[in-house]
Amino acid sequence: MSRERLQNCIIRSIRIAGIIFFVVIVAFPFYWMIASSLRPLEEILMNPANLGLDIHKIDLSAYYDVLFDHGFVRYILNSFYVSIITVALSVALATVGGYAVTRLRFRGQSFMSYSILIIYMFPAIVLVIPLYVIFSHMGLRDSINVLILVYLAQTLPVALYMLRSYFKTLPLEMENAGLIDGCTRFGVIWRIIIPLSAPALASVALYTFMIAWNEFLFAFMFLDTPDKFTLSRGVVQLAGSVHLSKQLVMAASVLVTLPILFLFLFFERYLVRGMTSGAMKD
Amino acid sequence: MASLTLKEIGKQFGKTVALSGVDLHVEDGEFCVLLGPSGCGKSTLLNVIAGLIPQDKGTVELDGHSVDRLTPRDRDVAMVFQSYALYPHMTVAKNLGFGLRMRGVPKATIRKKVLDTASLLGIDDLLNRKPRELSGGQRQRVAMGRALVRRPKLFLLDEPLSNLDARLRANVRLELKQLHSQIDTTIVYVTHDQVEAMTLGEKVVVMRDGEVRQTGRPETIYSFPTDTFVATFIGSPEMNLYRGTILRNGERPVFQGRGFSMDIGDLRPNRVEGEVEVGFRPEDVKIVETGTGTLHAKVEMVSDVGSEKYIHTRIGQEHLTLRAPKNTSFRPNEIINLAIDVTRLHIFQKGVRVD
Repeated sequence: MSRERLQNCIIRSIRIAGIIFFVVIVAFPFYWMIASSLRPLEEILMNPANLGLDIHKIDLSAYYDVLFDHGFVRYILNSFYVSIITVALSVALATVGGYAVTRLRFRGQSFMSYSILIIYMFPAIVLVIPLYVIFSHMGLRDSINVLILVYLAQTLPVALYMLRSYFKTLPLEMENAGLIDGCTRFGVIWRIIIPLSAPALASVALYTFMIAWNEFLFAFMFLDTPDKFTLSRGVVQLAGSVHLSKQLVMAASVLVTLPILFLFLFFERYLVRGMTSGAMKD
Repeated sequence: MASLTLKEIGKQFGKTVALSGVDLHVEDGEFCVLLGPSGCGKSTLLNVIAGLIPQDKGTVELDGHSVDRLTPRDRDVAMVFQSYALYPHMTVAKNLGFGLRMRGVPKATIRKKVLDTASLLGIDDLLNRKPRELSGGQRQRVAMGRALVRRPKLFLLDEPLSNLDARLRANVRLELKQLHSQIDTTIVYVTHDQVEAMTLGEKVVVMRDGEVRQTGRPETIYSFPTDTFVATFIGSPEMNLYRGTILRNGERPVFQGRGFSMDIGDLRPNRVEGEVEVGFRPEDVKIVETGTGTLHAKVEMVSDVGSEKYIHTRIGQEHLTLRAPKNTSFRPNEIINLAIDVTRLHIFQKGVRVD
């Protein structure tokens, strides 16, 4: 075997080993979560180290219990409500805001466009106490809608930043063509910018949804009434309850994870590049 | 259709002066070409006319009425962009009809106008395609069609042919000229290509550094350039232009250049003297029999362009280029005798034409 082939062989095996290593690291917790949620409680207690899942002993009762006995239907609806409204507002505001700072000339434009990110520099933990105090005084604390406001403040800077970078890549001449063809500014945004920004808008929507869906700290601090809990808050409630049963917590965790997974699969096709090909000369 | 009048247009970007004191009048139905090197402000001027860039000073008038306060939408102009700027997410038919749709034209009318325009440009079989499925030439046609379909008051074209290959460009240029005579509309056309300007324009506006240097018919600009910039910018090969002095020793004035002197005749009405620049075009020099010429030049290089030859020579310390028939043959270092048509001399003083 020549030196070169040996080298290639070694590199290839190292690469495969690396891939397997990372797949195991990433996938194993998921597997364990799903497997545990499907096993009956007695089996988990009797044989906690057993990693295998017996197809014949699959038990879906944990999901039933979580959904209907522990109020997770309500939590899921709450989470969807918070996330979808946050996504809608964030995408809408970031689109017009991002367009304004990229294309329009006004006093303080560059300051605006850079100060957007400064907000993002403050860690959430710094903000949570003052916000807790302020919202408590205003009597707004235990409310899902206030949560939306907080999530917007968290997601909007990055959403604006992402869209601004994308809008900069869109050719100005195309917008000018739209203006001459008889569009207003909003017409240009609606009929030209938005259709062409589908990949960027999809990324922003996905990012915002994930933040809002997974957020825990503010939901934990602000929400007191179980009826208003979001999913992540609900899982912690469940995990902290006296009669902790592992397969219930695992089933709840699966319920938190699944929507994000499906969302990724659904949005993936919009994340393709090359939407503007054909507009310009080349 | 409309006439266009620009009065004292001025525009600055920060400290850079893009346009200053631009005056222009384009007659109803006239084909006007803005010509100049890149960065001379011609595209900015086009954007000012369209209303895409607001000017700092001056007025834009269509048919004698100021349109300064009108948005691009309300000026009723159409524009073809250098990059075409088609809407990539729409079919060709949608691209063509977009402007009409935005103006609330009924659907049936839009369909008819789109079909008419598409057949005028020979793109009827492409109507259902997206821009990315078209070739460069086809995209260019769609861009033209998008402007044509609305029959606006004024057409603005920003280097529309610069992205086509040479052969296609010549064809489309010819078609554009025919199209203009067919639809009889006012056109303002921006280019840096003097051949395009000379063949297309009924009026050519030569610009430099944000100013209009000369406005006139192509033949006027070629034969009577008002300054040395226009003189050397127009014409290929470039005009031969020499710095020197006019001496009047006795009857006939003589031009003294660097290392050569030249009889310039006494046909000048105003008696120019002193520091000047004298120029003549490569076709206004003839090769003559030994002993009869006024200039002796040494051949440096011959470039054969097929239909004729360009002879690059040296006189004194200067270069001289002349056009010669294709059957002539010269070798480097050969000495040739030249006679210059003194009636076709261009004389400039401080850069400005004086004769």
